[in-house]
Amino acid sequence: MNRKLFIATSISSALAACSPIGTALNNNQKFHAALGSAEKLNHALIGTRGMAREYRDGDVDRDFRVNGLPTPSDSNYQLLVARHFEPYRLVIDGAVERRGGFSLAQLQAMQQTTQITRHDCVEGWSVIGKWTGVRLRDFLAAVGPRPDARYAVFYCMDKDDQNTPYYESLDLHQAMHPQTLLALRLNDAPLDPDHGAPVRLRVPTQLGYKSAKWVWRIELVGSFATIYSGAGGYWEDQGYEWYAGI
Amino acid sequence: MQMGRKIYRYAVTTRLSHWFWVIAFGVLVSSGLQIFNAAPYLDASDKSDPARRVLSINSPAQGVGTTTIFGRTFTTTGWLGYTDDGMGGRGPRGFPGWITIPSFQDLADGRRWHLFFAWIAAACWIAWLISTAIKGNLRELILRPSDVPKLWPMQAYYLHLRKEPPPHGIYNPLQKAAYTTVGFVVAPLVVLTGLALSPGIDAIAQPLTWLLGGRQFARLWHFAGMLALLAFFVIHTFQVLTQGFVNQMNSMITGWYRVGSEDVAGQ
Repeated sequence: MNRKLFIATSISSALAACSPIGTALNNNQKFHAALGSAEKLNHALIGTRGMAREYRDGDVDRDFRVNGLPTPSDSNYQLLVARHFEPYRLVIDGAVERRGGFSLAQLQAMQQTTQITRHDCVEGWSVIGKWTGVRLRDFLAAVGPRPDARYAVFYCMDKDDQNTPYYESLDLHQAMHPQTLLALRLNDAPLDPDHGAPVRLRVPTQLGYKSAKWVWRIELVGSFATIYSGAGGYWEDQGYEWYAGI
Repeated sequence: MQMGRKIYRYAVTTRLSHWFWVIAFGVLVSSGLQIFNAAPYLDASDKSDPARRVLSINSPAQGVGTTTIFGRTFTTTGWLGYTDDGMGGRGPRGFPGWITIPSFQDLADGRRWHLFFAWIAAACWIAWLISTAIKGNLRELILRPSDVPKLWPMQAYYLHLRKEPPPHGIYNPLQKAAYTTVGFVVAPLVVLTGLALSPGIDAIAQPLTWLLGGRQFARLWHFAGMLALLAFFVIHTFQVLTQGFVNQMNSMITGWYRVGSEDVAGQ
């Protein structure tokens, strides 16, 4: 009986030690980096293939769940809202042939595409919305990416409580995907401030944090290593995978 | 202790993959619960739908934890909903910090662990499958129609309703049934339901997520598969503990199993 007690105690101690050992390993930089190696494998194997499922009108969530950082509350954004985004310009610069700024009216005048797709948050929940806007590939075709452009970086107007702004990045392969959208409308209405007005990104083949809201500038770059903390996005800088297809 | 004949039962690939699998499974469960905690509910639907919520873990008031299963709510303070926050205190949280990796709430790192050890688990399974198939031992392991009539006699033997186990090969019929179900039904389903959660894979293989009832449903299946594997783990551990623990552990470490000694286990 003593032997059984010993075995039972050993097993329960081993189980109880798992979480502390895991937490200790988690704080080890080399181990932490090794864990991240799966991302490269997943990116190589899954990548950006196929098309996200498109739904019917009846599937749409009329009350689309608001996600991400708080809606910008600074005076500049308030002014934009008050003036119905008339002064807004979507800046495009970096490795492009034609740098410039696009007004909302100019974006609305471009070829519009509608998709009803599911937004999958990294937290686990999903919501379906109807998005209308300009395909990012059409927009990029209009400005002409230079051969040295590898990534599109999206700068946003929202900031966290440390005043760190949101940003995101996509490789050009994902940027050129036919379902990657510069969305101007949600559920048949212009985007409201809580959902990223006036322009947000929609990337239905990756997790929700890639679909940056309140985009004001797109920069094409060869590398994002020198932008903010260098991981390619606000959440990526905090440890989330840059490749969010899984 | 009776001295039985020793047989070489487990090849080195089987033993290695077994122990790697133990580690990987432990990490996958605890990092999976960490990921679950970010949205501590499960819906039988494609998009999130509170009307089709099967399980939710909540903290409706400060210091109170509740778990709702199929519409029935239980108070689970201290265990689920309001529990160990992994930082020495208590707080609103799905599963407690002592069972998650990392212990504190950290979805990003939970995902890192989970997506890395998913590869370890898959690699173990494939390595074991290939080596076992090459050696021809799969035939010893997979349940055949001729084993089905022997299932109850074997169970009766375990329940001490019968003196002798029914005649069988290296594995008895119950072991075969368990290993076949876990290794070739549940484990692959857990992998598939996990893959269905990936928006990138959903875009490549839309029918997979659709067949599972949608993305949230896939999340529910993935969780249910984890529970099934956990149930196997508990029964398996119990069996090992009660059916000649030392002999069983020896055989999974050295490969050599003493035949017949389970009859005198614990004596």
